[in-house]
Amino acid sequence: MTGKQKKSPVLKVEDLAVAYKVRGGEIEAVQRVSFEINRGETYGIVGESGCGKSTVAWAIVNFLGANGYVKRGSIKFQGQELVGKSGEELRRLRGDQIAMVYQDPMQALNPSMRLGDQMKEVLTVHRGMADDEAAQHCIQMLERVYMPDAANVMRRYPHQISGGQQQRVVIAMALLNNPALLVMDEPTTALDVTVEAAVLDLIAELSRDFDTAIMYITHNLGVIARVSNRVGVMYAGEMVERGTVAKIYKNPRHPYTQGLMRCVPKLGADKAGSILHPIRGRVPPPTHRPAGCVFGPRCDYIQDKCREERPLLRDLDGIMVRCHFAEEIIASEWTPSEELALPQIEAVSSDSETILELNDLKKYYEVQGSSFKDVIGLGEKRYVKAVENANFTVAKGKTLGVVGESGCGKSTLIKTIIGLEGSTSGKATFMGFDISGDISGRDEALIQELQMVFQNPDSTMNPSYTVGQQIGRPMLRFGTVPKNQVRGEVIKLLESMRLGENYYDRLPRQLSGGEKQRVGIARALASRPNLVLCDEPVSALDVSVQAAILNLLLEVQQEFNTTLVFIAHDLSVVRFFSDEVAVMYLGQIMEIGPADAIYAPPYHPYTEALLSAVPIPDPTIQQKHIRLEGSVPSAINPPSGCRFHTRCPRRKLLPHGGKICETELPNWQITGDGHRIFCHIPAETLQTFDPVITVESD
Amino acid sequence: MLVKDCMTRHPIMISPETLATEAQKIMGENDVRHLPVVGDGKKLLGLITRERLALKPDMMGSLNVWEITRYLSNLTVVKVMLPTAKVHTVDSERTVERAASIMSEYKVGCLPVVDDGVVVGIISEIDLLHSFQDMLGLPADGVRVTVRVPNVKGEFAKITSVVSHQEWGVMGIGSFPSPRHAGFYDVVLKIPNVHKEEVRAILSQTAGHEVVDVRDVV
Repeated sequence: MTGKQKKSPVLKVEDLAVAYKVRGGEIEAVQRVSFEINRGETYGIVGESGCGKSTVAWAIVNFLGANGYVKRGSIKFQGQELVGKSGEELRRLRGDQIAMVYQDPMQALNPSMRLGDQMKEVLTVHRGMADDEAAQHCIQMLERVYMPDAANVMRRYPHQISGGQQQRVVIAMALLNNPALLVMDEPTTALDVTVEAAVLDLIAELSRDFDTAIMYITHNLGVIARVSNRVGVMYAGEMVERGTVAKIYKNPRHPYTQGLMRCVPKLGADKAGSILHPIRGRVPPPTHRPAGCVFGPRCDYIQDKCREERPLLRDLDGIMVRCHFAEEIIASEWTPSEELALPQIEAVSSDSETILELNDLKKYYEVQGSSFKDVIGLGEKRYVKAVENANFTVAKGKTLGVVGESGCGKSTLIKTIIGLEGSTSGKATFMGFDISGDISGRDEALIQELQMVFQNPDSTMNPSYTVGQQIGRPMLRFGTVPKNQVRGEVIKLLESMRLGENYYDRLPRQLSGGEKQRVGIARALASRPNLVLCDEPVSALDVSVQAAILNLLLEVQQEFNTTLVFIAHDLSVVRFFSDEVAVMYLGQIMEIGPADAIYAPPYHPYTEALLSAVPIPDPTIQQKHIRLEGSVPSAINPPSGCRFHTRCPRRKLLPHGGKICETELPNWQITGDGHRIFCHIPAETLQTFDPVITVESD
Repeated sequence: MLVKDCMTRHPIMISPETLATEAQKIMGENDVRHLPVVGDGKKLLGLITRERLALKPDMMGSLNVWEITRYLSNLTVVKVMLPTAKVHTVDSERTVERAASIMSEYKVGCLPVVDDGVVVGIISEIDLLHSFQDMLGLPADGVRVTVRVPNVKGEFAKITSVVSHQEWGVMGIGSFPSPRHAGFYDVVLKIPNVHKEEVRAILSQTAGHEVVDVRDVV
């Protein structure tokens, strides 16, 4: 269909300000936000947490809570004003024309109702449709979102399907009434990369087929590049830049957007491109926004005018930007400011001693059956095979990155090494000591040498201990520092984490997420360990903070010559600072080798799929389109032969459609320089695959 | 081409309680001429057009200025809309030409597209004119040629064989009974990347075919 005349937008937000009434006044969480979404278009809204992205979405669906209200501006949906209408009028106006999809699908579904009943409710309530007719519609819609075995899914409960499938159900539910506008608030953030990639494909397809306007909120620049046409960048409650994705990603004009681009891992062609430059400081809370430009305090180009006068959104070569000096700023000439010393990546001499060695390490969990036989102990024992035959070594001062989808056994592997779980069989040696058993059998000196940084700093810190006490505790416990010097030593550590002495007496609740994670790292380093295990230390953090933490980790590693084992769920994060990378699938290490070898052919087919799923924040980069089908099989009953054979897209390259994969375990193929691939397909064939990521030349 | 391919999805719709003044404003601001009136679940209740809002003086009880103001400020669209029973609709699986024939037969400017009582879109004259342009490949450059052929089986095949022999592409095509020439059909083709004279020369070689018009369309 060509040549449609310009229609009025589905959603038009003008000069919106949203305020929350709080004790002693009110807070303007969102100010001066304007944008419009046309039909069939996906509009991305990107920014760090606390920038007011969700508040805008809630204002549109009137979900601000009892103390929130739209203070100024207008929201027009399908040409009709939403602001100032009564609840009943709004319900009628919006009715079934706006739908919303939230971050966590499990919270959007009622756990005690069958999926079919929940879905049918949408149609029977809104449209007064008969029950069996509604069921028919629901099944059709589930099939539309590629839900396998749709009729059966209708009878299940939410907990019986996987996270990706739950999100599909939620999306199907949102589309049942054929809404004109779909508001999606971080719909894929809680999902694995491979599942995320499939859901993003689906969203793009649905917006095309149903002509639905989508407002897509996310913190991930890569996701925006994949799904949206236009993007608005929000910072501290204001929209600082908006324009088409192609223009903004090629040449961002606002210093904040430029900063964001520099602090996300790119997964581009070379390793140098994956060095991260964090933005200093953090998003100011709504009560403490600066008088002039909101980004001023964090901006490298700040001048007097920025401190005094609020910039207005203005047009600069088709991009709307809120900056006084946008035309003078040239992003390519940017150099990191001196306060942000970047870690130098030096090659550690390769012949350093081995510090950790795993030989056929296994960890099985016994599953308790519920039959009578099982209860009296006569039933057949079943096991979750969480880690199967892990074999690798880590040299002193090096970093091993472990990557894989959730449920692949990454965390179990770490827990077994640190001793939170004893291993089932196999051997693990750390500095010559056997660490196959759990922590109760270990010497205190050994415990001191192995420390861990956890994913979620909130839940791993005692809320009633001060920062100083938290960090000082391991020092006292292991006696690494004399009692009277603990305070000095803690402050020294805090300083190397770029936190000052004034943090010593603070409580965890007085810290931001990034600061908490710094304290978490300081605590792990307090006993001067030789090996630090990091379990997704940055996945709960904002991108600008994430970059700072990663750089910090790298720095302390060089300072203390610490060895790191670093878990991540996505390949872009581990790229620039891992010496070696291991890719795990369903408890089995599929590929391991030097970091550079992992990101170029030959790939294991699973690594290839993972790489093609990572959203890259650069629309000019071409990625191969490989999507894994189905979900990760159960670890209680893993597939025979190669564990990946049920989802492997490359199996058909083998004779007889890869029959051998179903029956026999592959052998490790060594492709040189410590790079090993666990696959039946000969390394020569794997070598012939095209690289997943190609940079389009202009 | 079916109605679902060229209709406007998610049209602006109003509820029956909307004031007539409000409806007028929505039409003006969004530059639309028709507003379907829908109840819960997007069930079609009626249609508001500009003519329906041109209120006749005899509808009002009095022509007193104050009375008119009061009357207008309470007038909801449910009182002035064309009720469903009188609205011509079409379902999304119909062909475009069927929609066009309904519209020309009843002289209406638009048809709400209704599936199972639920409004899924709207198709207006403008949408049909767009699909007409699309069918003849208007937005793109090319040569538009009209060939007059006898209304005999096999004549069209002759044109296509010439076109395929020349390895030309066809971006738009239409055929209709020749005006004022009974027994003939006019076939219109839109061919890209060729020269006008070349097309005329080659297509008029076929016996019985006459090139009645050829022009560059840009």
